Amino acid sequence: MDKIKRKRDRLEMIFDILNIIRNNQNSIKPTPLLRQSNLSSQSFTEYLNELLEKDLIKEITDENERKFLTLTDKGFKYLDKYKLILGFIEEFEL
Amino acid sequence: MPPYHLIEPARLLVELSYTLIVVFLCFRIFYKTKEIYDLTKYEGVKYFRITFLFFGLAFLFRFLSVFVMLVGMTFDLDISMYLFRIFPLVFNGYFSTMAILSLTYSMIWKEHQVKNILIVSNAIAIIISGIAFFSRSYILIIGAQAVLLIFTITIAVYIYSISKRISQTFILYVLFILFWIVNLFTLGPQRFVPFVIQTIFQIISIAVIGIIYLKVSKWTK
Repeated sequence: MDKIKRKRDRLEMIFDILNIIRNNQNSIKPTPLLRQSNLSSQSFTEYLNELLEKDLIKEITDENERKFLTLTDKGFKYLDKYKLILGFIEEFEL
Repeated sequence: MPPYHLIEPARLLVELSYTLIVVFLCFRIFYKTKEIYDLTKYEGVKYFRITFLFFGLAFLFRFLSVFVMLVGMTFDLDISMYLFRIFPLVFNGYFSTMAILSLTYSMIWKEHQVKNILIVSNAIAIIISGIAFFSRSYILIIGAQAVLLIFTITIAVYIYSISKRISQTFILYVLFILFWIVNLFTLGPQRFVPFVIQTIFQIISIAVIGIIYLKVSKWTK
């Protein structure tokens, strides 16, 4: 049961991180995102890499060379469809 | 002119309708779950999708075998052994074994992760279809997949005994695999299952996959 909870939590964590970005007008620097996500630095880096790899977020650099994280269209879609995704996984016990 | 009225039109129509409906539903399930998988890359969803892709392909090759059998019997033709009889058998064995293994793994992967599961599944499926190729018989495929079904039920009952419940979804999966195996009996040389009984099983299996499809549709708007 712990493994099931852990896998579901991963999807939930991704949702939380994306939601934080959305709630910050879709633009946030990595450090405040780390703080708001309540994750350890290592876990945060793992999630960040995963989100970038899955094209749910992207990094943009402004004219002052500061990095920001924003949602991609796919990231917005993840947020919109999250409840359906969870429902599907629970329905079929995947 | 070939005597078309001897092609057992009822049987051909039933088989064609059954195949079209089931293949359509299987591929629709595969297609409808694409977005969820693209968004999450969730392992369980991946194997769930693969299951229905492979079952769809297996049903297609099953129909090809049935069609060749009917045509050969009706026109007393010596249908080319390899092209029209052996290859559907081999592909049928491969795709259906992959489908059963994928479905089983989608249920147990959270508890028991298997390294390189796709390679392992492919190896098992190739061995079974290889045996089918050399034996030229569906009997061994039926036997091997019956063993897989028993294995699936055993594993799932063990896991569900821990959670103290048997889910409706698990029952649907078992029924679906069971009806697939029953379908294979119609391709055996002795034709164990009378046509009427077979038709009843096919109607019930359409209902089973229909229920699965409706459940998928509920969450994939």
